[in-house]
Amino acid sequence: MIGWLGQGMPHLIAAPILLPLFAAALMVAMGERRRAGRALVNVLASLLGLAVAVALLVWVDGEGVPGVYLAGNWPVPFGIALVVDRLSALMLVLAGVLGAAAVLYSTARWDRAGVHFHPLFQLQLMGLNGAFLTADLFNLFVFFEVMLAASYGLLLHGSGTARVRAGLHYIAINLLASSVFLIGVSMLYGVTGTLNMADMAQKLAAVPASDRGLLNAAVAILSVAFLAKAAMWPLGFWLAPAYAAASAPAAALFAIMTKVGIYAVLRVWTLFFAGGDDASAAFGSGMLVVGGLATLAFGALGVMASQRLGRLAGFSIVVSSGTLLAATGLGLPALTGGALYYLASTTLAVGAFYLLIELVERARAVNVDAPEPDDDTDHLPFALELVELPQDVNLDDDEHALVGKVFPAAIVFLGIAFIGCALLIAGLPPLSGFVAKFGMLSALLNPGGLGDLGATPVPVAGWVLVALLIGSGLVATISLARAGIRYFWAPQDRPAPRLRVVECLPIAALLFACAALTVRAEPVLRYAQDTALALHRPSVYIDAVMSARPVTQPSWRPEASAKEGGT
Amino acid sequence: MSLALLLALPFVGSVAAALLPTNARNTAATWTTAVALACVVQFGLMFPEVRDGGVLRQSFHWVPDMGLEFSIRMDGFAWMFAMLISGIGTLVAVYARYYMSPADPVPRFFSLFLAFMGAMQGIVLSGNLIQLVFFWELTSLFSFLLIGYWHHRSDARRGARMALVVTGTGGLCLFAGVLLLGRIVGSYDLDAVLGAREVIHSHPLYPPMLVLVLLGALTKSAQFPFQFWLPRAMAAPTPVSAYLHSATMVKAGVFLLARLWPVLAQSELWFWVVTGAGALSLLLAAYAAMFQNDLKRLLAYSTISHLGLITLLLGLNSELAAVAAVFHIMNHATFKASLFMAAGVIDHETGTRDIRRLDGLYKVMPITGTLALVASAAMAGVPLLNGFLSKEMFFSETVYLSSYPWVELALPLIATLAGIFAVVYALRFSFDIFFGPLSTDLPREPHEPARWMRVPIELLVLACLVVGVAPAWSVGAFLDAAALPVVGGTLPEFSLAVWHGFNAPFAMSLVAMAGGIAGYLLLAPLLESGRLRRVPIMDRFDGRRLFDRSLVALGALSRGGVRVAGTRRLQMQLLWVVVACLVAAFAALQGHGVGWGDRPRVPASLEFVLLWSIGIACAIGAAVQAKFHRLAALMMMAVAGLVVCLTFAWFSAPDLALTQLAVEVVTTVLFLLGLRWLPKRIPEAVRHPTLRDRARRGRDLAIALAAGGGLAALSYAMLTRLAPQSISPFFLSHALPEGGGTNVVNVMLVDFRSLDTLGEITVLGAVALAVYALLRRFRPPRESVEAPRQQRVLPADLKTDLVNPRTAPDTALGYLVVPAVLSRLILPIAGLVAVHLFMRGHNQPGGGFVAGLVVAIALIAQYMVAGTLWVEQRMNPHPVRWIAAGLALAVLTGLGALAWGYPFLTTHTAHVALPLVGEVHVPSAILFDIGVFAAVIGATLLILIALAHQSIRATRKPATAEAGGG
Repeated sequence: MIGWLGQGMPHLIAAPILLPLFAAALMVAMGERRRAGRALVNVLASLLGLAVAVALLVWVDGEGVPGVYLAGNWPVPFGIALVVDRLSALMLVLAGVLGAAAVLYSTARWDRAGVHFHPLFQLQLMGLNGAFLTADLFNLFVFFEVMLAASYGLLLHGSGTARVRAGLHYIAINLLASSVFLIGVSMLYGVTGTLNMADMAQKLAAVPASDRGLLNAAVAILSVAFLAKAAMWPLGFWLAPAYAAASAPAAALFAIMTKVGIYAVLRVWTLFFAGGDDASAAFGSGMLVVGGLATLAFGALGVMASQRLGRLAGFSIVVSSGTLLAATGLGLPALTGGALYYLASTTLAVGAFYLLIELVERARAVNVDAPEPDDDTDHLPFALELVELPQDVNLDDDEHALVGKVFPAAIVFLGIAFIGCALLIAGLPPLSGFVAKFGMLSALLNPGGLGDLGATPVPVAGWVLVALLIGSGLVATISLARAGIRYFWAPQDRPAPRLRVVECLPIAALLFACAALTVRAEPVLRYAQDTALALHRPSVYIDAVMSARPVTQPSWRPEASAKEGGT
Repeated sequence: MSLALLLALPFVGSVAAALLPTNARNTAATWTTAVALACVVQFGLMFPEVRDGGVLRQSFHWVPDMGLEFSIRMDGFAWMFAMLISGIGTLVAVYARYYMSPADPVPRFFSLFLAFMGAMQGIVLSGNLIQLVFFWELTSLFSFLLIGYWHHRSDARRGARMALVVTGTGGLCLFAGVLLLGRIVGSYDLDAVLGAREVIHSHPLYPPMLVLVLLGALTKSAQFPFQFWLPRAMAAPTPVSAYLHSATMVKAGVFLLARLWPVLAQSELWFWVVTGAGALSLLLAAYAAMFQNDLKRLLAYSTISHLGLITLLLGLNSELAAVAAVFHIMNHATFKASLFMAAGVIDHETGTRDIRRLDGLYKVMPITGTLALVASAAMAGVPLLNGFLSKEMFFSETVYLSSYPWVELALPLIATLAGIFAVVYALRFSFDIFFGPLSTDLPREPHEPARWMRVPIELLVLACLVVGVAPAWSVGAFLDAAALPVVGGTLPEFSLAVWHGFNAPFAMSLVAMAGGIAGYLLLAPLLESGRLRRVPIMDRFDGRRLFDRSLVALGALSRGGVRVAGTRRLQMQLLWVVVACLVAAFAALQGHGVGWGDRPRVPASLEFVLLWSIGIACAIGAAVQAKFHRLAALMMMAVAGLVVCLTFAWFSAPDLALTQLAVEVVTTVLFLLGLRWLPKRIPEAVRHPTLRDRARRGRDLAIALAAGGGLAALSYAMLTRLAPQSISPFFLSHALPEGGGTNVVNVMLVDFRSLDTLGEITVLGAVALAVYALLRRFRPPRESVEAPRQQRVLPADLKTDLVNPRTAPDTALGYLVVPAVLSRLILPIAGLVAVHLFMRGHNQPGGGFVAGLVVAIALIAQYMVAGTLWVEQRMNPHPVRWIAAGLALAVLTGLGALAWGYPFLTTHTAHVALPLVGEVHVPSAILFDIGVFAAVIGATLLILIALAHQSIRATRKPATAEAGGG
């Protein structure tokens, strides 16, 4: 397998970017009227992209060292290098899985809700993949922009007042964040004179003391852009309304967009500050931890407060962002490993949840005409519980018969899927959410390893994170149980919604993936641990990038003026 | 059968049951009984291996790195629980077949039932504490689904939710406690934990760990103060209650207490918390049980009370008490399961569970009556029944305890009092409903139930009797095997005889009997007549109400929290981003400061200062006017943009200046077109600014000044430095020899960093597609569709050369003739300029980007002057195809390099010698640049068309507005 992959290898690294771009161009050229053809191209491209991502993951895990691709054949650091390491490969696979699931789902009905859904979808995938692959800071900005530009279109897909309102907020904030990103990148370029992240990490030590302040300010400003993308409190208020307003497949794909912010923080922060022992070592880690904890707490509040499933899912993304940021900031390799497993689990879970929400609401909308409770109004969900029941024998006020009701098959599927998503989001057994939480908590409580017998003290922030992690799980349990009861148990005698196989299949597949993550927890966690170790030893990445050499002139074309390696 | 298969069997059975058709009542029940019976038989056969302290183990790798093995471990105690779970499970399954209505879709019920059974067995067979938590939470989940089985009833929904929240919370506490235990011991393995008693007790984390573990156990076992969920859970079908609240769910809590008893007990904290919770539950629940009128609720309170008894025994830190606890676990399971089933039979056959309405049933259902009488006698602790034996052991433990004097006094008192209450409620359950005149107003005609519905009760009651009469013979061996692992090490001396002589415990039993009968005679008339409807005194301290209130309060609190800590307003969100930047940058500069560099400064000239003064003034003006005078703001922004262009040119960056100029033109024009559709100012909405408004504006101004000033300072600091390690010299020196062009900027765009360019044209394309998709659905508001105010003031009869562009076939008439002619003339010239800019791009300022913009500007001019209809009658620009072609060309050019064995986007310069012209460099990047050119034209035009079609669509039917999209 590895050998076979090695054949196409250097070029395969660029495939996750080029495949969606080319597919998008093809679909744009096909025109609006060939909708079926476009859908087919989109599905095929997404599946192929997933296959490529998996191949890259297998390859990089087998090789153990990052693969480097020099676009344009220019030597590092002058050209743009694409790098696939374990972290990138993991993110690519996650994006691929979500993308394939969402696009399959969209073919049922959503792709007809507006124009250009399919090309924008592939462009979004291209932006995501590019951001995960590039080793160049400005190129990262470019791919952020590709991703965002496409996401603007996808968020507004389907139109409607709520979407346009939330979408325009989203666009305004992201444009500001992009400007901030640009300021940060240009300052870093000014101080270090390079854009390649590996090269930059190497040159940080050589930055003179007089420029240190500027360097730190540049990193700080850059981090604001990343953290706004990762929805850190107080920069992430846009997330819940925007994602709740998005159409189901778009929202499912967006589940990985905040993770791009997390990815960028992980990548840049560990590259710059994890390895060295210079003056800027562990710069800003306190900020990350405090911010992450605040985000986690805010997200948990939001989960508790939310009554509409879309907002609930949005806040659960905020919770996962906070968790990941705090875990990153604490800087323990074992914790980072657990956090990466959590990242995979939570991304798939929330993706599935967004797809599911639409079906559940559809099931509900069949005959329930009560207005949706708006979260702005102070609507008490279970105020009825305060009404004293007669302490009499028949506990049910309406004396309903003691005979169970048959659930239609569609509702059974939705119910089981809902339970699965709820368990994953709340971190309850038996799905991967529990393993993920256990992995992080165990690493947090045993910073020196399990057999250490508590010789290494747990930092205060670690205790707070433990408490918040468990507390957020509780809050999610309460809130999701409330929602589940309201959506599945309370309505009476409604006709079953019509579901299509292409809508159910992606949800089932995502949940199945989470179940597989649980059963095969060991190899996945091992992979996550290797990833975390490599992140905390950035020299692996830096050496791989810096030692990459351009292809030298092939002997059979003497007149070609290809570039020589090095300078 | 191996333990693992045995553990998996109920889950497999559950899936199989779920797949049965909804009316497969007999199949589902038979299947469930068979699965449970198979478990009983298999476990039963394993007894010889665990009887003398033997332990069966089986483990699988799960996540060994984190101390998480999937390990199955069965010792005598676990064996006893496994037998209870599967044995009573078998009986309840048979019972449920007859209890559930034929119309009920029971396969779902049996599926959940089996899954719950599997989860419960998972708890007792766990050899790893994390795995125990895993199954623990599963029991919470499945019990939630079982309690809410009749989900169309509101009491079922509420009861299920409450059970889930309480036990789920407890489960999370237990999870935290186990994690702490893992930190203390260094392992989650049960054997390792059981062997680390000293380490655990001496560890500073022992108290918090213990409290967390106990929270888990006490919530699950419905112990004070968490007892309130159990009576509400009675909304479940009776077989569920019989199973969950006799042998399984609630027993999980005491199972955990007993499981960890060897390592956690024997401390003050344990004594106070466990004994305290147990004693309060024992007494208060027994008290409350006396006043219940519902058979099942009575049993629920009695269950809390009996579990309190077990908890109390475990809390006493005495080995003998622990043995008594294990014994009572077994006894309680047998009589309580049979009582629940009897209650179900009565409910099923009479149609009510109200003790006040039920009377004299013995006449019509003598067999059930006898069974219920015997079982409630066991519950009350009547001699020759199993309940008596363990209760005697309990009484003697309370009497012979050595502790604080007041505890030594209080405990026997509590025990006797609870004994009295127990007799009262047992009499209410049995005597009250079976004797006296037969009730006449029952919903159904009462009669004996189906034969097989009674068999499970008969078997259980038989067990009560046998154990009560010949304890040592019947359960002695099992009790030894089960109690040995609980006390750890050696069993204390105890005797299972029925008669111990006339001693203090027996005296207490007698007092309880007598007091109970007296109490019943006193209480029964009050309750029967309905004068006493609520539980006296205790009714005021209702945990359930507290729970409901706190949930509602939690909801309100969180909503308030989100409102305070979050915002939905865009302005605030943008403010936060800016403030975050400011704070982050200032914090990062702490200790370093920002100093100016020593790069030689260019002296200022008067012209430049003047130019910038204009630019600055315009920028400020644009900000000031942006809110209410958009057109003016836009114009000033354009001027500021032009000043930037001039600055670029001034500092020898002609490429930038050229590009900036074209971009300024295009964006300003598109902005102007969009301005038409923005909402109007509502003069009435403008109010006089209050003090608060002024303060807010002052704050915003301060932040703006700080952010702007900070950015200016940072820029100045950057610009005054020489970048010492810069990579830019490489580009200067390699652009011509290897990039094949003298214009370094262009070589950078199409060669060095062509991947960036590819990304940027993709962004352009994506934005254009998004704008088009959005605007296609956009319906302008009515006030924007009407003719502008300036046009409306014209009198109708006025002769004018103004043409209405929406109706006129050609707008290039009248006053527009001159610009129309000019703009049409410009089109070919613009094309020529574009070609020129494109061709020289690689060596001189220019390139595909600028060339594309120039063409786009020329086309925009046509649209502006001649009108959309006129232009589109004469040509279809197909902007979408331009985008597709541009992107595809750029990608394919880049991919071409692969054919020659080079990476994507590697360029190649062909040196061609043409006749007359001489040698020409033709870099492959030129193809890439054509792609850029096409994509820019397409994107710009698509946005233009999306805007232009608004004005056409506003007067037409929306459906016909499809044209021009491509």
